[in-house]
Amino acid sequence: MQDTVLVVGGGPAGLSAAANVTSAGYKAVMVEKEDVLGGAPILSGYAKLVPSGEWASEAIGRMVKRVEDDSSATVHKGAKVEKLDGEAGNFTATLTNGETVQAGSVVLATGFTHFDSINKPEWGFGTYEDVLTTTQVEQMVASGKIACPSDGRVPERVCILLCVGSRDRQIGREWCSKICCTVSANMAMEIKELSPETDVFIYYMDIRTFGLYEDKFYWKSQEEFKTKFVKARIAEVTSSGDGRLLVKGEDTLVKRPIVIPFDMVVHAIGMDPNADNPEISQVFGVGLEKHGFLERAEQYTNTCGTTRKGIYACGAAYGPETIDDSIAQGAAAGGRAVADLHALVQKAG
Amino acid sequence: MSEQTPGNHNQNGEGAGAGTMKPGYHNTDGQGIAGHGSFFQATDLSQEEAVKATDWVRKHVDRRTIDLGDRMDDVREHMYELEKDGQIIIHRITDQHEPATVQTLFGWDKQVPTKQLWHHKSCGQCGNIPGYPTSLLWFMNKFGFEPGKDYLDETDQTSCTAWNYHGSGIGNVESLAAVFLRNFHQAYVSGKQHGHDLGHFYPLVHCGTSFGNYKEIRKFLVESAELREKVTKILGKLGRLVDGKLVIPEEIIHYSEWVHVMRNRIASELQTIDVSNIRTTAHVACHYYKMVHEDAIYDQSVLGGNRTAIITSTAQALGAQVIDYSTWYDCCGFGFRHIISEREFTRSFTMDRKIRVAREEANADVMLANDTGCVTTMDKNQWIGKAHNQNFQIPIMAEVQFAALACGADPFKIVQLQWHASPCEDLVEKMGMSWSEAKKTFQEYLKEVEAGNIEYLYNPELAYGGKV
Amino acid sequence: MATYAEMQQIFDDIRGDFRYDHDLNGCLNCGICTATCPSAQFYDYSPREIVQLLWTENVEQIYDAMQEKIWACAQCMTCAARCPFKNSPGGLVAIMREVAIKHEMQSAKDVLRPFGRVMLKLITTGNQLSPDMIQPDHFPDWGPNIQKVEGDLQVLRKAIPVKTLQTVETAWEVSLKTSVEMYTIWEMTGVLKSLELMDENLFDVIEDFIDEKREDYEDWLEEQEEEDDE
Repeated sequence: MQDTVLVVGGGPAGLSAAANVTSAGYKAVMVEKEDVLGGAPILSGYAKLVPSGEWASEAIGRMVKRVEDDSSATVHKGAKVEKLDGEAGNFTATLTNGETVQAGSVVLATGFTHFDSINKPEWGFGTYEDVLTTTQVEQMVASGKIACPSDGRVPERVCILLCVGSRDRQIGREWCSKICCTVSANMAMEIKELSPETDVFIYYMDIRTFGLYEDKFYWKSQEEFKTKFVKARIAEVTSSGDGRLLVKGEDTLVKRPIVIPFDMVVHAIGMDPNADNPEISQVFGVGLEKHGFLERAEQYTNTCGTTRKGIYACGAAYGPETIDDSIAQGAAAGGRAVADLHALVQKAG
Repeated sequence: MSEQTPGNHNQNGEGAGAGTMKPGYHNTDGQGIAGHGSFFQATDLSQEEAVKATDWVRKHVDRRTIDLGDRMDDVREHMYELEKDGQIIIHRITDQHEPATVQTLFGWDKQVPTKQLWHHKSCGQCGNIPGYPTSLLWFMNKFGFEPGKDYLDETDQTSCTAWNYHGSGIGNVESLAAVFLRNFHQAYVSGKQHGHDLGHFYPLVHCGTSFGNYKEIRKFLVESAELREKVTKILGKLGRLVDGKLVIPEEIIHYSEWVHVMRNRIASELQTIDVSNIRTTAHVACHYYKMVHEDAIYDQSVLGGNRTAIITSTAQALGAQVIDYSTWYDCCGFGFRHIISEREFTRSFTMDRKIRVAREEANADVMLANDTGCVTTMDKNQWIGKAHNQNFQIPIMAEVQFAALACGADPFKIVQLQWHASPCEDLVEKMGMSWSEAKKTFQEYLKEVEAGNIEYLYNPELAYGGKV
Repeated sequence: MATYAEMQQIFDDIRGDFRYDHDLNGCLNCGICTATCPSAQFYDYSPREIVQLLWTENVEQIYDAMQEKIWACAQCMTCAARCPFKNSPGGLVAIMREVAIKHEMQSAKDVLRPFGRVMLKLITTGNQLSPDMIQPDHFPDWGPNIQKVEGDLQVLRKAIPVKTLQTVETAWEVSLKTSVEMYTIWEMTGVLKSLELMDENLFDVIEDFIDEKREDYEDWLEEQEEEDDE
């Protein structure tokens, strides 16, 4: 009788799923394609997490440790699932490291891929050195200083462009990436903490600091850190030749086109479907929804399900998601996967 | 590891560190990204962690890796379906046209025919900047093209009429579609009178606005059965159907795309003048890369694939310096109606957003363009700038004219710079040619012309369907 | 001033164009169109405003915008290339201009009057522009040195080594048959009719010209037949 859940992906969602499987007394086998666990917050070197304010390495580190120290959890790092045979209740996964895993159910916590700003070339990333992404500035903040890559100077003026790779039909990214507004407001405050003289502007279409993030991030960044929010989507970023960047937009509330100089431009990059999703879809036999994320089975009665029986999913695999909600969904998917195993036990009994 | 870093780009984070990113450095290897990675070595991440942290960027998750499905529509697929249904005839690009394959904005392939071309002229250009069709034909001759077989320039064509439409609102989708299909039908059948098959000559569109307009209209035609039905009636009346069907081209090709795919041959086989001392700036026509923009050419080896490759690719291939400037994306100020009757707008905009910037900021020797309207606007409005305290001047010409100069073409007889108002003589001199001597020779030639001794790039009879 | 019903009719005509739904999907009011608009830098014109008026069906303000603002658009279409919703503000303006002409709005007439020369050239020859139109006396603001070699225009054009370009009254030589085919297109697509609405005098001139050309073509065809008979 199967007592094992296969968890694919070792980010916040997968770590949460695995921990829930073992806490229910079953076994978890985790397969992670990278050489380290922790997913995007660790791999991309995030700084402080929203909303806890804890350093990513510490917070996610605890999740990693919990699984790595768990005798009921087996972890395969640097490996992928290349074949999945069988059916719900009796899957056999073949891994790229040559191992096989028997599992009664599967949880896909395969996450997302950061939007590659090179796909929005008119915003200067890849052309100008001082155009950066939020993940890069996260790393900068983690290192304790904020400086322009071109010459190391501390920027006097920084702007953050929201919805880079989100809400943009021009490049086939129609979705809202959900987290970038809050992450950017948080980042504005972090920049200001490191460099109080630096002015930070945020260019937005709408501000979506939903739920409790409103006052903690959106308001606070204005009230305490004097972050300026301008309702404008930027058309192009170019360089004026003197090393400064020029940002072209319309202040839609004042209703005039504007060109504003900055020392640093930060792209608040969105969340793409995992670039491996076509492969994941094929290997696991699960469907993708129209944007390329995993398709949910049924929203209300099988909310952790995919289009294939016995295979569940959680977190950003389904679409842009916060770390906290990914963890909650991981717990739910772990529980749902365990329910399958438990049903097998009952059937056998 | 290599799986995460195709091309094994900077696997170890080597070369990272301060000073690796030079100002003006462009990502050209198609893998990494300028401005990425090195600074971040100073974080408290270990070297290995730092490499890992930026892996996702090296992986170059680009437009091509995500299946955009129906959300990013490729009109050509719908055309092929219509053809299968027997509704239209597609003027295909075949091996005979010796096509080169390029990539467009979303990484789609586009075939650019290099031979058997039907020159579809541009009204502004022919009336005003004749040096760019002549330079183009001159290049074709230089490559040994046989007029009447490898290219054709004839009188049976009208302009696309889109200048008028965008300027005045006179005209409509139906009229634009009928004009498009009439011209392209003629291109399709034009080989007949010279003893070739249907489809022998493939239309090469000289004008940026025609190029954008035709592509937009083609989309409407493919999408709307009603529009097809209406124009089929008109084309039928004109005798411009083939087997009762509309002829629609597989690709719409702009002359600068031909120059783009030929640029390396131009540089290696024909170039005679070193232009490494020339600072060039590019102005790409809005209607080339902003209308139906998924069809414009992008090339990883040109500006990192971040901007359309056209023009810059040619300057680069010739070895000229390519200088960026802050208003690169801006329109020239032509405005269709504006250049005729809102001249204050046109000249103010072009002086302030183009000429001044190219002159002051980029310190350029020349601004290269690829469309009639842009060249005219930027070329002709410099003089009046003085009245606005904007005394800036810079030579303006099409990239094919610049290329012809670099290949030793006569500045007057071939490149026809006498029609330009901007200081093209400064560029010619800087390239090492004597403007005054060339002018003297040309004035001698004018006497010959008056006496009826005219030189041609092809047998004039060909223009009227006559024999080679 | 138009009645509300008239303004509603104008809006309905705009909305009735088959491109309308193609060009207008909604609006996030992000302003990227206006940010990148050359005309917005110079005129009191904003593509975002045009889109907003149409999307909210503000028929009175739409009517008002058609008095002047829509003619400020330079039709560069940068707005359409940038819009995250894939609207085409420039495309909507083109529709509005067509409708302004259809409704014989005074703004259209005023705006088009100086454009008459280009229209005459285009409708009669299939070229928009000709060498004889770009002479210094037509464009004094282009300066005295509009070209670099003095001389007779005819001779200078003959010095272009391409047969089709050795013209003065058209940008290139257009065959008679081609022109006549084009007149049929103008007639069948209602272009001549809209010209008549806009400028009756211009229309008369064009009509005479077309009649003449058609006769020339008939004569030429007869000559061909006679030649064939011989």
